[in-house]
Amino acid sequence: MRPPAFEEVDHTADRALVVRGRSLQELFENAAFGMNRILGFRPAPGGEMQVKRIDLEAIDAESLLVCWLSELAYYAETESVGFERFEFERFSPTALSAAAFGRKAAEMEKAVKAVTYHDLAIRSEGGEFTATIVFDV
Amino acid sequence: MEIRQIAPFLFEIPRSQRADMRVPARFYADEALAAAVRADRSLEQLINTATLPGVVGYVLAMPDMHQGYGFPIGGVVATEPPEGVISPGGVGYDINCGVRLLAGRMTAREVSDHLEALASALFTDCPSGVGRGGDLRLSGAELDRVMVEGARWAVRRGLGLPEDLEHTEEGGCLEGADPAEVSERARSRGRDQMGTLGAGNHFIEVDRVERVEDEALARRFGLFPDQIVVQIHCGSRGLGHQVCTDAVNRLQKAARSFGYRLPDRELVCAPVESPEGRAYLAAMKAAANYAFANRQVLAHRIRGSFERVLAPAGIPFQLFQLYDIAHNIAKMETHEIEGRRRTLCVHRKGATRAFGPGSPELPAAFRDLGQPVLVPGSMGTSSWVLVGTADAMRQTFGSSCHGAGRMLSRHQAKRNVQGAGLRRALEEEGIRVRAGSLAGLAEEAPSAYKDVDRVVDIVHGAGIARRVARLVPLAVVKG
Repeated sequence: MRPPAFEEVDHTADRALVVRGRSLQELFENAAFGMNRILGFRPAPGGEMQVKRIDLEAIDAESLLVCWLSELAYYAETESVGFERFEFERFSPTALSAAAFGRKAAEMEKAVKAVTYHDLAIRSEGGEFTATIVFDV
Repeated sequence: MEIRQIAPFLFEIPRSQRADMRVPARFYADEALAAAVRADRSLEQLINTATLPGVVGYVLAMPDMHQGYGFPIGGVVATEPPEGVISPGGVGYDINCGVRLLAGRMTAREVSDHLEALASALFTDCPSGVGRGGDLRLSGAELDRVMVEGARWAVRRGLGLPEDLEHTEEGGCLEGADPAEVSERARSRGRDQMGTLGAGNHFIEVDRVERVEDEALARRFGLFPDQIVVQIHCGSRGLGHQVCTDAVNRLQKAARSFGYRLPDRELVCAPVESPEGRAYLAAMKAAANYAFANRQVLAHRIRGSFERVLAPAGIPFQLFQLYDIAHNIAKMETHEIEGRRRTLCVHRKGATRAFGPGSPELPAAFRDLGQPVLVPGSMGTSSWVLVGTADAMRQTFGSSCHGAGRMLSRHQAKRNVQGAGLRRALEEEGIRVRAGSLAGLAEEAPSAYKDVDRVVDIVHGAGIARRVARLVPLAVVKG
């Protein structure tokens, strides 16, 4: 059985997720879904789908992952939108362009203040990518 | 790991512990807490900070230390230019998170019949909770003024008393803030959050002075037994979070260009005097000023709640400000090291400034005493007013603890405690609770924290702050 796409692990002060994917792109998508869990995102029933364009460049894959999640967390805080689907037009370890599809939340239980670099390293082994991400909440 | 006890309540990890350490690492604890801190990664994180370029003397952690990201919470690290760096991770995302203490002239006995109404009024008047903006939406120009003027901006608008400023660290305004260094994204996060509490561990708490430990000092601070006081714990909200996010991202590249080899990418940094370091410091000051203004506006709202509830009953409702302190900040300060006055960049991440008597930075009212040090406990337990000491100036770059310090993760806390049950238990103890989220309440359960009385025993025993008064809660407002 494959391990879960993401799972929460204990961290004294904040919240941490182990995220997995069969590709780097899938890891990014699963990280976004994992962050929805931390946010306690529940879409408003019947809410209209919104699209946000996201274009990012970074010095490496870890930085790109932090920027990606920070971007989504920004919309969660300022517009109360959670994202449920992504279409990537371009994806590399240092750049991405995507359309993020999301809906207004009926509730966000938690605010993600920031996505940290603490101990962040994306590992690839046997065709699986993993990363542990610590969120400041 | 080699840990030596070098004084009562003080432990040291020698520089030889790890090849990349530039200075030893010290932490304040009793024997039980010293054993307990090994359960998480706070000591490893403390050792990591000892590798920062230009670090001076030793790195420190207070007895409320626990695992953070990059720096441990409770960490104090001083660096000296020109080699010395500033690290955004050493301040944290909630720039100038801090505590303000207002005090009344009324007693708990006098207001006991009005506590329910007070708790409800505070919950209504002080917006709190996830994603909750306030009724003050700032224009771009006005937000610039907030970032430059800090609490002065609020007082100028009639949201506070001029004497509040005198009783705020740095007069409620860090000089040298530059709004031009704050991104549009940070501005948009901060525009409608002025005067709001937020969520997480931030709170407003109405307390009673349960016990005075030093009568002469308490009298000078205006504190007396059974007095009503109010604590405000919050920071720079989304604006500060984004300033830190922007800086940590930008410095990922810059730290490589400076040739730094850091054990954790969250520790990225730049020389304080480099363009990158100066840019971060100017943006950090802007966010810190936003936080001073935020606590000032909240204080004004709290005064309004007190007046509305207590004035009709003929109870004195006025609240004066004892002090306002920052516990997530980096500041340029002058300290005597090895007999020489040196200008240092002191990072306090989950640590409070605790300047002793004679410090020119203190307001006239406290200059001969030392500054009030505000130590909020966990919800439902005690909090403390302490005073800074000359020993703190010698031992800790004038710093002390900032709270109880977490022991259990938020995840564990929620597994162990149900929000509704916790609320019932607190109410059975006579503590009124107003909370936006029961799950959020459970994460902040007292059992998730260390015993604050014990943390205070350690700083008092070590001489880096002295006990003045113990506070116990009567009403708590949380997001």
